[in-house]
Amino acid sequence: MIEFIALNLAPIIFVSLVVFLLLGYPVAFSLAANGLMFFVIGVWLAPYSDAINLSWPLLNTMPNRLWGVLSNETLLAIPFFTFMGIILERSGMAEDLLDTIGQLFGPIRGGLAYAVIIVGALLAATTGVVAASVIAMGLISLPIMLRYGYDRRIASGVIAASGTLAQIIPPSLVLIVLADQLGRSVGDMYAGALIPGLVLTGIYMGYVLVMSIIRPNSMPALPLEARTLGSGVTSLFVALAACAAISYGAHVWLYPSQGANADILGLTVGVAVIYLAAVLDKRLKTGLMSRLAQEVIIVLIPPLALIFLVLGTIFLGIATPTEGGAMGAVGAMALAALKGRLNLGVVTQALHSTTKLSAFVMFILLGARVFSLTFYGVNGHLWVEHLLTSLPGGEIGFLIVVSLLVFLLAFFLDFFELAFIIVPLLVAPAEALGIDLVWLGIILAVNMQTSFMHPPFGFSLFFLRSVAPRQSYVDKVTGLTTAPVTTGQIYWGAVPFVVIQMVMVGVVIAFPQLVMHYKGAPVDTSNVTITLPQMPGGGLGGGIGGGLGGGLGAPGGIGGLGGAPAPATPAPGAAAPGIGSPNLGTPNLGTPSLGTPNLGAPSLGTPTPGAPAIGQPNLGAPAPAN
Amino acid sequence: MIGRGVMWLIFLAVIISATNAVIRKVFSVSSNAWLEAQWYLFGAAFLGAAAYTLQQNEHVRIDIIYGMWSRRTQHWIDLFGHLVFLMPFVTLMIWYFVPWVTRSVYSGEVSTNSGGLIIWPAKALLLAGFSLLWLQGISEIIKKIAVMRGLIADPHPFISAHEAAEAEGAALKEELTK
Repeated sequence: MIEFIALNLAPIIFVSLVVFLLLGYPVAFSLAANGLMFFVIGVWLAPYSDAINLSWPLLNTMPNRLWGVLSNETLLAIPFFTFMGIILERSGMAEDLLDTIGQLFGPIRGGLAYAVIIVGALLAATTGVVAASVIAMGLISLPIMLRYGYDRRIASGVIAASGTLAQIIPPSLVLIVLADQLGRSVGDMYAGALIPGLVLTGIYMGYVLVMSIIRPNSMPALPLEARTLGSGVTSLFVALAACAAISYGAHVWLYPSQGANADILGLTVGVAVIYLAAVLDKRLKTGLMSRLAQEVIIVLIPPLALIFLVLGTIFLGIATPTEGGAMGAVGAMALAALKGRLNLGVVTQALHSTTKLSAFVMFILLGARVFSLTFYGVNGHLWVEHLLTSLPGGEIGFLIVVSLLVFLLAFFLDFFELAFIIVPLLVAPAEALGIDLVWLGIILAVNMQTSFMHPPFGFSLFFLRSVAPRQSYVDKVTGLTTAPVTTGQIYWGAVPFVVIQMVMVGVVIAFPQLVMHYKGAPVDTSNVTITLPQMPGGGLGGGIGGGLGGGLGAPGGIGGLGGAPAPATPAPGAAAPGIGSPNLGTPNLGTPSLGTPNLGAPSLGTPTPGAPAIGQPNLGAPAPAN
Repeated sequence: MIGRGVMWLIFLAVIISATNAVIRKVFSVSSNAWLEAQWYLFGAAFLGAAAYTLQQNEHVRIDIIYGMWSRRTQHWIDLFGHLVFLMPFVTLMIWYFVPWVTRSVYSGEVSTNSGGLIIWPAKALLLAGFSLLWLQGISEIIKKIAVMRGLIADPHPFISAHEAAEAEGAALKEELTK
């Protein structure tokens, strides 16, 4: 009996973890307690099974394991982006955008729905906070949609779904956490998520287009009297053309002195000029532009500037994601100040929420570190790896099962818990199957995004419920009594979008190119020879290619170096990172010798391999992975 | 008190990080000390706030089954959790942190990054954070027993995560429409 338990300790730990978590005590401490309890049991059972590598001295590594969480610069981005999001939520930016873009698209059929989706995507690119978008849309757009006879299900579905775009379009918190857990850079994750996020936005709009053709009555155009900003789209196009011309002119003028930077600077000049022109035009009432053009320019440019400040600097490599978050936070405060919405109360409140969120998120991570010490000590990761790599269907089978698993678990767990507990276990099997971890991360992110909108647990639906009318009310403009939005309508409205999400998961699985462009153009490595001095054994191309990132110097990575024959195949079992171990450079882990990615594996594009790092003899140092 | 105080550290970290990023690009100088200062501040903030978050009952739980129990059963679960999950973990960590921090203080450990800061204050933060959490844990156990015996009112009636989301939405609506 004891031997049976000893041999099956990993599954037992896992099941008991589920029980501990379902008990309902805070996740962070349940995780830690589960880890410690089974550590004790594991030490006691160690003589009965070869798989258990636990002993009391191992607990001495605990302070350094927790220290690794503390000294992790990537995770700093979490409070920065949260703070930025909450400030923006209070700044009234979303309301202005919805009003104006709604006017711009209102005259076409389904226009308000398009406006909601576009604003949803814009807001998503400035913050990672779902609540903010959904609430703003529910307050501003929903009443207008109801007033002019939009189908309630479509209206609420579009709003709930557009709000969740904040989860997939960078800079989202999900992507930061996933990048950290998968041992990839946040920048790569953002670059990988950008196109899927935009494609998803496009599919939402496609759905609105199809519905507006099939059921034109479900989304009428705004009647003339509701177009408060009047028409004047031509004027907007003229203004845009002028902006482009000025940008190009500035580019030509700056090119000799600024070189490659002239693109960005030129564009900045053009946008700044047109913004100033619009503001002056509005102040002086010269009537040069139509009112619509004025408003659109004035409202749209600050958020776009903020997006550039954050995402632009990250993608251009000017700032790290953490710095981008900090600059975004300062930018958000500036924006709120411009609108006269910044005061001590707002900042205090935002800091208060940010601090509490940081505390519980970081403590879940600390708990996960304690748990992982035990779970890896009993070779739990090998058990999971065996379980998942033996699935039928290889790579696709794995991705489908993982998607289903995350989809179902997301009913009960929020994405922080999923990311800290489940995701680290997927790394080793994914690498064994040769799955790119950024690709896997994006697939997981789309799945987690879905969890925000699936009835009856999706948080987006609850945020919408909190602002949608519960009782029939008298509309201020038309004076008609308007029926409430029922919870059933909100749920049914979300269903088509959940289906779209599932299609999207399929699309990302079927077309990895959507994500893989983050690596740049593929490099032909067939005629590239990497010669490394002091290397025992040959054929290391694949070993290093597969073992990148992840756990620093995990024993598996060294095996890969010795004899992986084909340069194309990543080394099996290379670099199994501990739960939460990626990027957490605890001092005693030794030099991150294997960490330099992109060493000549064909699919990895960067043409500058950090060769010196490999040459070092300390490749063989059996640094503890956990 | 500490929980509310430490939040300004995050504000400070935001400012330092943004300034540092701009300075690094504009003047091409960078300092590891400032980079490290950011996560020192963040560490101080979240470790300091952990006890406060516990007091405010804001550490996330999976409430799908928890929410179905009677309030009385929930109290028992909390008390059990405090005693069996929280306290042993925190106590054990403090036990290991004390010699670890002491060693760092005596050796005057300095960050391996050039121009880095001395490390022991950051390590001491872990000890301080867990100590606060320990004290808060004791306080929570006493309060929980008092609540269960009917001596004091329940400070945090159970609200499911979804109800909390709705309340948050309603509060924001209030804020934006005023």
